Amino acid sequence: MMVAGCDVGSLTSKAVIMGDGKIVASVIIKSKARPGDSADAAMGQALSKAGLSMNDIACCVGTGYGRDRISFVKEAVTEIACHAKGAQWLVPSARTVIDIGGQDCKAMRLDARGNMVKFTANDKCASGTGRFLEVMARVLHVELDDLGTLSASSRSAITLASACTVWAQADVIQHLNSGVPVADIAAGINSAMASRMSVIVNNIGFERDVVMTGGVAKNAGVVAALEKLLGLRIKRVTRADPQLAGAIGAALIAGERAQGGKS
Amino acid sequence: MNQYAGISLFDDLLAEPLNRLAEQAMGEGRVPVGYTCSYVPETLLSAGKLFPVRLRAPGIAGTEMADTYMSNVICSYTKSLLEFAIGGAYDRLGGVVFTANCDHMRRLMDNLEYLRKPAFSHTLDVPHKRGGPALDWFTEELKMLADKMSAHFGVSAAGDDLAAAIRSRNAFAEALRAIGDLRKLDPPLITGGEFHRVMIASLVSPKDLLMPLVEDFRRRAVERGGVGPYRARIMVAGGELDDLSFIDVIESQGGLVVADRFCTGSLPGLEPVPESGDPLRAIAQHTLYKVLCPRMMEEFDEREEAIRQTALEYRADGVIIQAIKFCDTWGVEGSTLTAALRSAGIPVLRLEREYRHGGEGQLRTRVQAFIESMGK
Repeated sequence: MMVAGCDVGSLTSKAVIMGDGKIVASVIIKSKARPGDSADAAMGQALSKAGLSMNDIACCVGTGYGRDRISFVKEAVTEIACHAKGAQWLVPSARTVIDIGGQDCKAMRLDARGNMVKFTANDKCASGTGRFLEVMARVLHVELDDLGTLSASSRSAITLASACTVWAQADVIQHLNSGVPVADIAAGINSAMASRMSVIVNNIGFERDVVMTGGVAKNAGVVAALEKLLGLRIKRVTRADPQLAGAIGAALIAGERAQGGKS
Repeated sequence: MNQYAGISLFDDLLAEPLNRLAEQAMGEGRVPVGYTCSYVPETLLSAGKLFPVRLRAPGIAGTEMADTYMSNVICSYTKSLLEFAIGGAYDRLGGVVFTANCDHMRRLMDNLEYLRKPAFSHTLDVPHKRGGPALDWFTEELKMLADKMSAHFGVSAAGDDLAAAIRSRNAFAEALRAIGDLRKLDPPLITGGEFHRVMIASLVSPKDLLMPLVEDFRRRAVERGGVGPYRARIMVAGGELDDLSFIDVIESQGGLVVADRFCTGSLPGLEPVPESGDPLRAIAQHTLYKVLCPRMMEEFDEREEAIRQTALEYRADGVIIQAIKFCDTWGVEGSTLTAALRSAGIPVLRLEREYRHGGEGQLRTRVQAFIESMGK
């Protein structure tokens, strides 16, 4: 039985098709202006990769900020619940999940069965979100994906005085103008990001194992800085791309629904 | 969740700071008196030709003018009122009565008096504790207000006249309470959004003119039968909340709001004011003992117990604690209350909001995730 999950985020949209508990196909694309168009494009590409049509999918669940605008889903579930579900599939020992999305960041606590029992989120401010890193990468004229690797060669990371994205951007420009190496600025940006994350993780109270999902989980600089701040090792996701966690969670929920699970 | 079509009558009453019923009463020579806090007894402001109007700023789009007079750490409720006041929205009120309950409200009062110079304004000093001396003090405070109103408006706010106002108030509160009780049923006969509209309308309309609408609503709600479907029964607690969309958004995610404990809600203030004894003292006692605001000292346990008992009585699956950003009173209370309720096994979602409606996408996600986290 094939099931699918579609996660329409503010920056990227993801689609995952699963069969027999395995990922059959997955896609990550840049989100379009309309959430419905993003979902159609992502799922269309995933189906094409898998050589399937929508008729072959027993159930599809939508998630992400555009979840209510997806035409082909049976149900819309929050990205909070989907990331929790997806993270537990990716790392079964996960009890705390940190997800940094394009326009929010959240931390979730899971029980031993992987049910989300508690969550907290910052969705009022760009600070500590994927958008923060995107803005900073643009100022540095580097690719977003390179921010993490760049910071590895830093010798003396800068400190950003403000948590505000706009003022931090002004800080970064000031450092660039002063000739500070880009690696040190990148390291400072990653640390600032981790610092904001640590606030919400401490706020919810973490329990091992801690797992990071979302696109920012692929930024080694942020992960390392957060590990330092929390004083623990964050369990790496290796089973699949951590950015797919929401869509995987949605597909897993779709599987439960297809088997008559509660909706 | 579908709402009874007739609820639009209440929507119409909530679109302006002074609605058509207030206009009708004013056309009959009656005088609206504005107020901003549950510690201002509505019953006292109902003396003779007066009727109380809780100040709101419906449809406010921004607070550009108020921002120049109030700092950026002042709550958006008081700023919104000042913005409307500067624009003349409250100029037709006969007067305003404030309480000195928080600094934000005090700054509103200062600026309003400075900028608009209302013909009648009064600030009630409310004790931070209860007990005999506090009751004496608050009764005296109300006496000063009553005397000042009598002198300014020529109304009698004492003795038999005030006792009659208490009886009218109690009859109206009983009608509201009967509607509120419809939320206890399973399924409830009304939505939280409907009840919220009725409650807010009751705070901004002359009660005698609103009564037929309230009775008609109850009759139709009973005839209609249960509302639903819903995923979870929710109680909403916290500070000032007159944004109609807020509860609608919660209910759009399947969280039926069956109970409330916030400044502009129903619980527990709808209980009757004692009809025997000195009416002014009875009003003072009812106000001091029923409002249950976190500005009072040494009463946390009672407030928490009231919320727990209400959640139990109305079979709420979880509690949403909402407060406007920068509200010091609820900002502090919210933290302790969240911890206490969670310790008691009650799921809690804490939400910070602005006075005017916004951030609906985030609100939907949080509420839906809250319901999901309860396994509903």
